[in-house]
Amino acid sequence: MPPLFSLHNSSILLLTLLIAGCGAPSDQQNQIDYNVSAPKASGGTLINAMTGEPSGLISMIAGESASSAISSNIFNSLLKYDKNLELEGDLTESWQISTDQKTITFKLKPNLKWADNQPLTSADVLFTWQAVTDEKNASPYASDFLLVKKAEIPDPQTFRVTYAQAYAPALDSWAGLQILPKHLLEGKDLHTTAFARKPVGSNYYKLDNWKHGEHLMLSRNANSVLGPAQIDNLVTRIIPDNSAQFLELMADNIDLMGLDPIKYSRIIPARPELLKKLALYKELGNSYTYMGFNLKHKPFDDVRVRRAINYAIDKQEIIDGVYLGLGINIASPYKPGTRWSNPALQPYPYDPAKARALLQEAGFNDSNSDGILERDGKPFSFEIITNQNKEREKSAVLIQRRLKEVGIDVRIRAIEWASFISRFIKTGDFDVVVLGWGLGLDPDQYNIWHSSQQAPGQFNFIGYNNPKIDALLEQGRLELNPDKRMVIYHKFAEILLEDSPVIYLSAGYGLTAIHKRVKGIDDPAPPAGIGHNSQDWYIPQSLRRNEINTQ
Amino acid sequence: MIKYLVKRVLWMIPMLIGISLISFFIMHLAPGDITNNEAAFNPKASEESRQKLREMYHLDKPVIVQYGLWLKRMATLDFGNSFASHQKPVFWQTVDADGNVTEGMIQQALPITLMINVIGLVITLALAIPLGIIAARKYQGWQDRSITLFNFIGFSIPSFWLSLLLMYWLGVVHNWFPISGLHSLNYDSLDTWHKIKDSFSHLWLPVIIPSITGLAGITLFVKNGMLDVLQQDYITTARAKGLGERKVVYTHALRNALLPLITIVGLSIPGLIGGSVIAETIFAIPGMGKLFYDAVLMRDFPVVMGILTIGSALTLIGNLLADVAYAWADPRVRRGVAKA
Repeated sequence: MPPLFSLHNSSILLLTLLIAGCGAPSDQQNQIDYNVSAPKASGGTLINAMTGEPSGLISMIAGESASSAISSNIFNSLLKYDKNLELEGDLTESWQISTDQKTITFKLKPNLKWADNQPLTSADVLFTWQAVTDEKNASPYASDFLLVKKAEIPDPQTFRVTYAQAYAPALDSWAGLQILPKHLLEGKDLHTTAFARKPVGSNYYKLDNWKHGEHLMLSRNANSVLGPAQIDNLVTRIIPDNSAQFLELMADNIDLMGLDPIKYSRIIPARPELLKKLALYKELGNSYTYMGFNLKHKPFDDVRVRRAINYAIDKQEIIDGVYLGLGINIASPYKPGTRWSNPALQPYPYDPAKARALLQEAGFNDSNSDGILERDGKPFSFEIITNQNKEREKSAVLIQRRLKEVGIDVRIRAIEWASFISRFIKTGDFDVVVLGWGLGLDPDQYNIWHSSQQAPGQFNFIGYNNPKIDALLEQGRLELNPDKRMVIYHKFAEILLEDSPVIYLSAGYGLTAIHKRVKGIDDPAPPAGIGHNSQDWYIPQSLRRNEINTQ
Repeated sequence: MIKYLVKRVLWMIPMLIGISLISFFIMHLAPGDITNNEAAFNPKASEESRQKLREMYHLDKPVIVQYGLWLKRMATLDFGNSFASHQKPVFWQTVDADGNVTEGMIQQALPITLMINVIGLVITLALAIPLGIIAARKYQGWQDRSITLFNFIGFSIPSFWLSLLLMYWLGVVHNWFPISGLHSLNYDSLDTWHKIKDSFSHLWLPVIIPSITGLAGITLFVKNGMLDVLQQDYITTARAKGLGERKVVYTHALRNALLPLITIVGLSIPGLIGGSVIAETIFAIPGMGKLFYDAVLMRDFPVVMGILTIGSALTLIGNLLADVAYAWADPRVRRGVAKA
């Protein structure tokens, strides 16, 4: 009876599986010592994975991180950030700012070429600027470039922009705009053009092959404007599930993966066979988590209440509990270690006694002894909303507990993203949010903190309105000299901390595992992160995947 | 019969319009639109540009107007273009002036999902029918009990958990099979035989796991159908005639016992085009389930509506086919239909 036979087989298989759930991988690759130092050699393939597929590779249209992760290997901008997050030339050899600070002249490097051998000139830069500001392209990043009053190309190597008034974030915006080839895109609709799936760029790599839903393969661009990269091919596989990605990493099918704190500090260190082949890297991430008050709602309009809550929350506990210690406490919305971060500022310490005193000063008392403070007969009670993000939800739970200890009743609600934005954030219908912001590379944060940015859909949704902050933000936009600008933003961060319109909860580390066959990675990571010199990473001949398989 | 068929087919048109109307409104009841996704929550992206996008996609118009626009396009079988995926065509490929082919999203995802589900259904049936027969013949014997036990273990194991365990055991510990994806990276350079082998080794886990977990229902159906039939008088007659047990079971009983299965298979036709989000996510398979799920999260209305429309049309066709097949297989039903 054949059916019964298969029944036996499957149940045995199942049983074996349940029993042998955690055997050790036993492949011959474990015999190889990946720690050997080997001479630098170009060639090889680096296999990477990401969870989402890019919608297209024109990043000014696509807007998602999956797109820019790939397109940054293919396209160049005028400027880029070096390892210490200072600006340097990418396509440009040098740039000059006029004495009235309104005009910037970019001088392109000589003899630049696109991957298809056509010359790359200032006409391409002008074309890209026209594309990003063109109304029918509806680029989400248009606003910075719409401030350019005049753009001109006196010669094929020079690009000059003039702003109506000095605009300091301009340089950062040019570092973010990937230059597109005019000869392939002129007259095309950027929203539908096939170029988005068959791009021609100027950077280290070019796209060879894109298999929908499976992988993108990049190979070295012989015309790279920055010289050759070491690794021949970059393959990015699309694997939506994190656990599946991790299994692929364990099985040596991918070389590189972003980790969560549990994998970084518990799972991998507990497995010697993984430690043998994987190197772990930790770098300061590019974002922070905060708790923001709706400043239009009482009692959050009272600075004493905001400060009290800041003192009542134990941020180290959140870092230890939610991020397993893999994060840091910050005191300004800038990446620590960069020039914009004010080293003199200290985060609010955990001090419940001070919190209680401040709340009492603000008129809160537990008049009916139920453990919850009241003012004018109304209990101090509010709701924290956040999107469905495990780390934010867990942080909210820890906050809830600490605030209960000082007599504040907190409820928590996690909401799906689109509803979260359109029902609560846009309408201003919330008390307190737990969310995240990027730690911008340019210090300008006008859109987040300036009082003019409170309309629905704009980013000062907490309703922050402080004339001193407004003045500093305006001043900072007009000053292109980095040293003078630094003074402005140090002052800005100081007032912000004092005023506490948001509470900085933590800035998590970016955690990465990279196979030890990949050499040349900076450790410890500089402020720009380990990826800053990925073009210099190399895989020694003897450790490459194909060679291993044929042995 | 012909009249009945024509009537049934014509009825499908108002049904489809009704279904699309309801799905369109429910989809638009969900708060937010394409401009609200997490990537757009970036201080560098201005509200004006989001408003421009809304105008571009007519999202600023009342829902009923949007539905009218959609219906107008659908009248020419134009499923439109995705909002989210670089305006890819939703259903079928388009060719631009330079001869660049842009494949449709459903066109890419449907064959993959269809293949996995059809093979899965065939395997399920091939296992469930013999198992059901054995269980019915040895009713309450050890065979019946072990089949039931096995089925319910399969039924109650969460398939994602079983998938991850098998992926770990077969892919990481033993390196026997690839863990995820549809093809190896060097697929294009393989010869035909190795291509088939490669596809098979990638596909067998995602096919086998839903088959195992889906086995229980169909086996029970076959078993109960068989039990019913075996107790009927004509089976007793057949046995009394002195027919062999084999002949009684396989020639006389089986055909009648399998009748209800026709309905089940007919009803599973729409299921064949809807992939499982969880399985597709875990195995990194770019199929219909993932496509639909992502489209809902992104509020990519043309894609959501395209899949729903095709899905509901197939459901209606599946029902019709099941009824027709039933009539073909069962003379009693056929005569009843002819009268109506």
